[in-house]
Amino acid sequence: MHAAVGDFVLDCLQNSVEAGADRIDLEIFQEEDRLRVTLRDNGCGMDQEELKKALDPFYTDGKKHRHRKVGLGLPFLAQAVDLAEGTFRLSSEKGRGTTLEFGFSLNHLDAPPLGRLDKTFLSGFLFSGDHELVVHRHLRGKSGAAGYTVSRRELTDALGGLEETDSLVLARDFLRNQEEELVKITF
Amino acid sequence: MAKMTLEDLRKLREQKKGEMDKRDMEGKDVEIIIGMGTCGIAAGAKECLDAFILEIDKAGLGNVTVKQTGCMGLCYVEPTVEVHVPGMPDTIYGKVDAAVVRQIVEEHLVGKTLVNNHIFDRPAADIIRN
Repeated sequence: MHAAVGDFVLDCLQNSVEAGADRIDLEIFQEEDRLRVTLRDNGCGMDQEELKKALDPFYTDGKKHRHRKVGLGLPFLAQAVDLAEGTFRLSSEKGRGTTLEFGFSLNHLDAPPLGRLDKTFLSGFLFSGDHELVVHRHLRGKSGAAGYTVSRRELTDALGGLEETDSLVLARDFLRNQEEELVKITF
Repeated sequence: MAKMTLEDLRKLREQKKGEMDKRDMEGKDVEIIIGMGTCGIAAGAKECLDAFILEIDKAGLGNVTVKQTGCMGLCYVEPTVEVHVPGMPDTIYGKVDAAVVRQIVEEHLVGKTLVNNHIFDRPAADIIRN
């Protein structure tokens, strides 16, 4: 199982990309120790039957890896949230998209750590395709609340692409700066 | 540092682009693809990505693109990296930590020789692009 929240999120983000979504919204909201994450996409979606199976670690549609018998992204996340006594909700509509919501207290003994979100976001932006991914980050700390939003299209536009190493270096520094400034303001 | 804006980013890019244009450009013909599946991340693929960005930037190579993909089907030797260099065989490296990344950049990308002891087979047939 993954160590950090960011890693779980990255797996689910990849699901959205592979579901053919052209618009994905990722919200990571944090009020003191309370974490709330929402991932919304307009990909191919799932019917009720598939939705149930999606949480079974021994289910996969078999399209990506022909001989593989497991699909671990969502089941791992559901398990981690369960251990942290949090809330987990997965809803979907065939042909319309999928929404994943989960939350828990980061202070819970069995909660996974948040991890480096700037790195999670960078990796999230790097999945290829021309889809839009908008990251919404909000943090309320001891000395106030603040947030930032980064759009994949805007970032790609500002950097002229996200594949050249020079662009990646700048994107990495930009995202780190957003996160560092946020923590500085709110704590 | 104050909070960066997209405008700052645009300016920085123009600045970098200026430096890049001074270099002798060969076109973007070298491709690095990092496996970022569950298995890859668990084994340190994020550190591997960081290391590639750092080493390629340090070596000043302007013709390299870095991409990421899911699991390549070689979970037992993660982190795995696929390297395409024109005139050299397409290679899948396994167990790629920061030290091996440095070796790949120095030996494979610059020196044009393969890095021994980290070469693994082609990935599962169902994910090979034709």
